Amino acid sequence: MTSSFFGLQTSLRGLLTQQQALDLTGHNIANANTQGYSRQEALLEPTRPYVLPANSVNTGAGAQLGSGVDVAAIRRIRDQFLDLQYRAQQMSLGDATARTNSLDQVEGAFAEPSDDGLAAQLKNFWDAWSAVANAPENAGARSALVTTAQTLTAAFRTISDQLTTVAQQAQDEYDAITGANGDVANMASELAGLNRAIGDAVFRGQQPNDLMDRRDQLVDRLSQLAQVSVTDTGDSRWRIDFGGVTLVDPSTPTGYTWPQTLTTPGGKLGALLDLASATGPALTYRTQLDGVAADLVRSVNALHTSTPFFDPTGTTAATISVVATSATVQTGSGTASGENDVAQAIARLRGGTTDQLYQSLVARIGTESQAAGRAQSTAQSLVDSIDGRRQSVAGVSLDEEMTNLIRFQRGYQASARTMTTMDEMLDTLVNRTGKVGL
Amino acid sequence: MAMRVTQLMSSSAMLRDLNDGLSRLSRLQDQLSSGKQISRPSDDPYGTSRALALRGELGGLDQFQRNVDDGTAWLNTSDTALGQMSDVMQRVRELLVDGGNDTAGPAARAAMADEIDQLAESLKQEANVQYGGRYVFSGTATDTAAYALGGADRYQGDAGTITRAIGPGVEIPINTDIRGLLGDGQAAGDDKLLNTLRDISDHLRGGTAADAGALRGTDLQRLDANLDVLNGIRADVGARTNRLAIAGSRLSGLSLNSTKLLSDVEDADMAQTITQYTTQQAAYSAALKSGANIVQSSLLDFLH
Repeated sequence: MTSSFFGLQTSLRGLLTQQQALDLTGHNIANANTQGYSRQEALLEPTRPYVLPANSVNTGAGAQLGSGVDVAAIRRIRDQFLDLQYRAQQMSLGDATARTNSLDQVEGAFAEPSDDGLAAQLKNFWDAWSAVANAPENAGARSALVTTAQTLTAAFRTISDQLTTVAQQAQDEYDAITGANGDVANMASELAGLNRAIGDAVFRGQQPNDLMDRRDQLVDRLSQLAQVSVTDTGDSRWRIDFGGVTLVDPSTPTGYTWPQTLTTPGGKLGALLDLASATGPALTYRTQLDGVAADLVRSVNALHTSTPFFDPTGTTAATISVVATSATVQTGSGTASGENDVAQAIARLRGGTTDQLYQSLVARIGTESQAAGRAQSTAQSLVDSIDGRRQSVAGVSLDEEMTNLIRFQRGYQASARTMTTMDEMLDTLVNRTGKVGL
Repeated sequence: MAMRVTQLMSSSAMLRDLNDGLSRLSRLQDQLSSGKQISRPSDDPYGTSRALALRGELGGLDQFQRNVDDGTAWLNTSDTALGQMSDVMQRVRELLVDGGNDTAGPAARAAMADEIDQLAESLKQEANVQYGGRYVFSGTATDTAAYALGGADRYQGDAGTITRAIGPGVEIPINTDIRGLLGDGQAAGDDKLLNTLRDISDHLRGGTAADAGALRGTDLQRLDANLDVLNGIRADVGARTNRLAIAGSRLSGLSLNSTKLLSDVEDADMAQTITQYTTQQAAYSAALKSGANIVQSSLLDFLH
């Protein structure tokens, strides 16, 4: 037989449990707008039953009497498989975003099509040669030609400098992210700390949901930088591989190892390394621009035979320079002042290989930048869609929480009512029993 | 099972849609304010390279047009001078016919000879005509006068050709070989105009029967031959002026065509862009309105 007060205890468990569930609902509602928060759910479970020994009931058998409810665990609702997909797409997005930003800068440097791009400067240069051909005796036309040529070479140098800067900025950004106090180092150290805290909590039998959320969020951020893979070492601690090397390893004393050289960087860091390299887009374009400059120098100097018009040693976009002065500009092959065959021949270069090389360079930049932009918007929409599915699983729904609030509040009220009933029952027993006839 | 939707999901989806809408609007606004549908190569890589090529082509056409204008002015200067020379030769011919008559006395003939010498000088002066500070009849030696006034009748220019480019690979000579008309004077004995004029002048002063015969015979024939040469030169100059005029109108046609092509490639279609802009704006306002209405509400609004 159970104690007379057994029912009070059962009601108390009900009250406490419903209260805990209400608290948890409050926690969920409070975090409804917290990035990276996964909703939590209280797993309610009947408590261990009270065992009535044999012969306690009429049939002579024993019985188990329910003793109420308890919170078995507080569960974090999250789909690890979606996390994997999300991180893979984050990596593509990081890569595409870095590329798009860099190519945007490159396009800005070229400023085509416009009235001040290099194409327009080349047109002005050919115009100036035609003007000299029309008035070879005119010193004004010749000095205008020299000034126009200097403007043209300055435009070459500016674009070349800007392309170098774009590559350098990618390198700087890479260095900043991977440096001693960079994002990777900070995140790795925080992850190592979280690993320890989570391991300790799990060892004590707790479920550290909020710490796990924070860890997931950090890994999400890391995955934008490079390829990330996560292995559970068995005690809820994670070993995290980052760009081909082991970044976070709970078995080491500090819990993480950084700086290291990434063997297979992907994501943003991979893109930045590529953008900064000599084979990356910016420097490839610069090499191609050098080709345009070299072609201009070669073709003009080949016709301008008396003295070089452009410095023959300056065959890159950064070094192209005009050595001719208005006195040494050659207009004709002979000495007569009205001869214009050389100027005519140079003016005929308009629309030739130099212009064509430049046009194909601009078209290439346009195509690659457009492709990068498309890749970015594709990656962005994939990330958005997977994030949507993740939110669908893990996000807090206020409607749901309000329903829970009512549910647990009613549960609390009902438990309280049970307790009142128990109290009244005991009142009958204690205060009114044995008073028959009094 | 239907997908579980949370408040954060709908608000971030709405935010994303608003953002997309706004960026589409701003792109259209860019196109409207600049009038260009290509503002950077990635907007349309093929269109960009077409635009660059067309801009280059247009630049070339404009330059050819300027060359045509310059060449035309040069040829007009030449033609005016040649016209003056033609008038001078008509006067010489009148004098020659008068001087060949026996009625003219020695004094009158001497006066005629003086006038012919003056006319020879004025021919040289016409040959020294300048365009933009350049001697048009001196070949490529444009800083040298073709003939020295008051000096020897020798041509001082060279035989060089000055050309103007009037199209891709098309060059047209704009100077005229004046030496073929005026020659190098008596010293050369080349029967050209200056030689003829000096001989006429000598024959007028000479007064012998042989001189009178030459005036009536060979001098007149030589002068007519020179006149034929001049007419030939004027016809040639006229033909070249015509060629330039035709090239000029062809160039403006081409230029118009290229401008239209460039505009097709580069310029925004205003009617279309404005329509798109209005549509996008309506969509954006609708998104804003629905966002304001929908995102706010939850079960909370209905519980008391």
